[in-house]
Amino acid sequence: MQQLLNGLMLGLMYALVAVGFTLFFGVLNVIHFAHGDIYMLGAFAALALTALWGILGVDVSWMVVPLTFVGAMVLTGLFGVLAGRICVKPLSKSPPLVILLATLMLGVVIREGVLIFYPRGADPKLFPSLFPSGFFEVAGAIIRYENLFILAVGFGTIVVVQQLITRTRIGAAVRAVAQDPEAAMMMGVDMDRTVDFTFLLGSALAAVAGILNGIYYSEVMFTMGITAGVIGFSSAVIGGLGNIYGAIVGGLLFGVLQTFAAAFIPGGSEFKDVFAFGVVMLFLVFKPTGILGEKEVQRV
Amino acid sequence: MALLALLLIEGGLYALFIACLEATETWTLLALGAGIALLIAVVRWVSWVEEWLFALFGHHRVAALLILGLFALTFPFFLRTSPYWIFVVTLGLIYGMIALGLNLQLGTAGVINLAGAAFSGIGAYTVGLLTVRVGLPVFAAFLLGPVVAMLIGALLFVPILKTRGHYLALVTIAFVFIFNILVNNLAFTGGPQGIKNIPTVELFGHLFTRSPVLFGVALPFYANFFYSALLLISLAGWAVWRLHNSWVGLTLNTVRDDETVAKCFGVSIARWKLLAFSLGNVLIGLGGAFYAVMVGFIAPANFTFGDSLIMVSIVILGGLDSIPGVLVAAMLLILLPERFRFLHEYRLFLYGVAIVTMLLVRPHGLWPSGIRRYGLHPGTSAGSPP
Repeated sequence: MQQLLNGLMLGLMYALVAVGFTLFFGVLNVIHFAHGDIYMLGAFAALALTALWGILGVDVSWMVVPLTFVGAMVLTGLFGVLAGRICVKPLSKSPPLVILLATLMLGVVIREGVLIFYPRGADPKLFPSLFPSGFFEVAGAIIRYENLFILAVGFGTIVVVQQLITRTRIGAAVRAVAQDPEAAMMMGVDMDRTVDFTFLLGSALAAVAGILNGIYYSEVMFTMGITAGVIGFSSAVIGGLGNIYGAIVGGLLFGVLQTFAAAFIPGGSEFKDVFAFGVVMLFLVFKPTGILGEKEVQRV
Repeated sequence: MALLALLLIEGGLYALFIACLEATETWTLLALGAGIALLIAVVRWVSWVEEWLFALFGHHRVAALLILGLFALTFPFFLRTSPYWIFVVTLGLIYGMIALGLNLQLGTAGVINLAGAAFSGIGAYTVGLLTVRVGLPVFAAFLLGPVVAMLIGALLFVPILKTRGHYLALVTIAFVFIFNILVNNLAFTGGPQGIKNIPTVELFGHLFTRSPVLFGVALPFYANFFYSALLLISLAGWAVWRLHNSWVGLTLNTVRDDETVAKCFGVSIARWKLLAFSLGNVLIGLGGAFYAVMVGFIAPANFTFGDSLIMVSIVILGGLDSIPGVLVAAMLLILLPERFRFLHEYRLFLYGVAIVTMLLVRPHGLWPSGIRRYGLHPGTSAGSPP
């Protein structure tokens, strides 16, 4: 029960990152490997904002939390749009390997940028616990209020995204471009705006995941984006690239898998990633297009 | 006449190269950088210079290579007072070897492999484990390194055939992560401390940690490794060049460019992809094994996903499927960060910025591989009649 809860929380964070990967893939057909570092940037943006609230003297707790979330989301989202415009969109017609390398290197730039320009960026940073502390027990499992908040925010964000994609005009545009960019453009969809929106949304989601991760471990580090990026990408692939529900399922699955491996396999905590990545590899061998992925049909 | 011109041009470039390595003051380095930028600008913008150079080097390819080889042989003599640079240039040669292998996979056959660091790590750890733990002679272990890298590569055979593109990229990323976590946590690989005191090679009674004396000049002991790396990379480069120009290379290109067409012409996709992957891993493992013998100490931190990225950057920046391109890029990408060590923490940041900029400006690499020209003389352009 406890493990399941932990797995679900981790899984939600992975799912939020994975949705970004899948959105970019759907709209531009690219894998944006700097996404993991944008997630890290989100956590640091929140950290900087809490420091800023301290200076400004904003200390009403019910205001601090939403302000931090929204502020970090906006900052990170805008940065994501910038990254997309500079590094991803100009290359979207070049071979996949070039985009892969360009975005991976963009990740290096972001990482090193935080290391250099954030005050004492090399050290792990204590992340403030934004949610109320305390816990209660249900059937022997300790449930912290913090964890409930993490779950609530995670699920809430996913529901909002789902509504945004399925119910709004811009969401329809995103889906149209994902289905067929040329046809969408002929129907009057503004390609540039849609792409920018995708980057804004994806990066803001990554920021939420980064903040939740910071709260969960109460520590952030400039290197946290590397594994998070790879895991987010793995989740998106397990679920089937380009499918938002797939990304969510994949993220949850990866989180639960990892936690269970750490808990039930002897000596598993060191090898939990080995186990998780091993499953990913096997999975790709037997089902190369993911759980909810579309069947790839090649016409000649 | 043409030979003299070749000698002068290559000699000039070589002198510039050595000057860049030897420069100690920031302003001399800046001046040299400006000079190189000017040279590149002249070649780029004055069209007859570019054409003349292409014609010159195209017609006298063998002579140009021989002169380059001769200059390379003299390199440790010029830099005998700074063994550090001999070490770094040798490292560049090792990465050149790895890049040749990776180029065979990525460039020639189109098999994405982001696990280069894992395979070079397997080569290195084979040497380390067999010599230190088993007590095998280092030369035998060195030869086994690439073989083991190839054999372990067979683990990825099924994913390579079943997946492609981004999915294959993910499989290889997962592989390099698994490799790194395993060597970091298993007891017999020495954990994060790695393996120390790998014995050095002894050839014809000459120990490789002893300074060689050539023509009465005592060279730093890294010269041993420099000359052996030069020999190995010349052999590997020659072999890969022959492979590239044979029908095998052509078949691999077909597999890369269009699998459906290749299948229609009766080309077995599975056989050729796996062949390219395995041969590439041999070269990558050889690079890793050489590194282990030269440095004598290996740790998991030398073989991370980040190192894989550097290897892939070399191949893409050099130009996919371009053998001279990847060799030049290997030198550049290994030497530049060392040269700019005085930038301290800004180094990696600027490295990333530089690579992203280069990709945006020259997405096909510094030295893109040309279209294959059959029945045409080298040096004539592809469109003109032979």
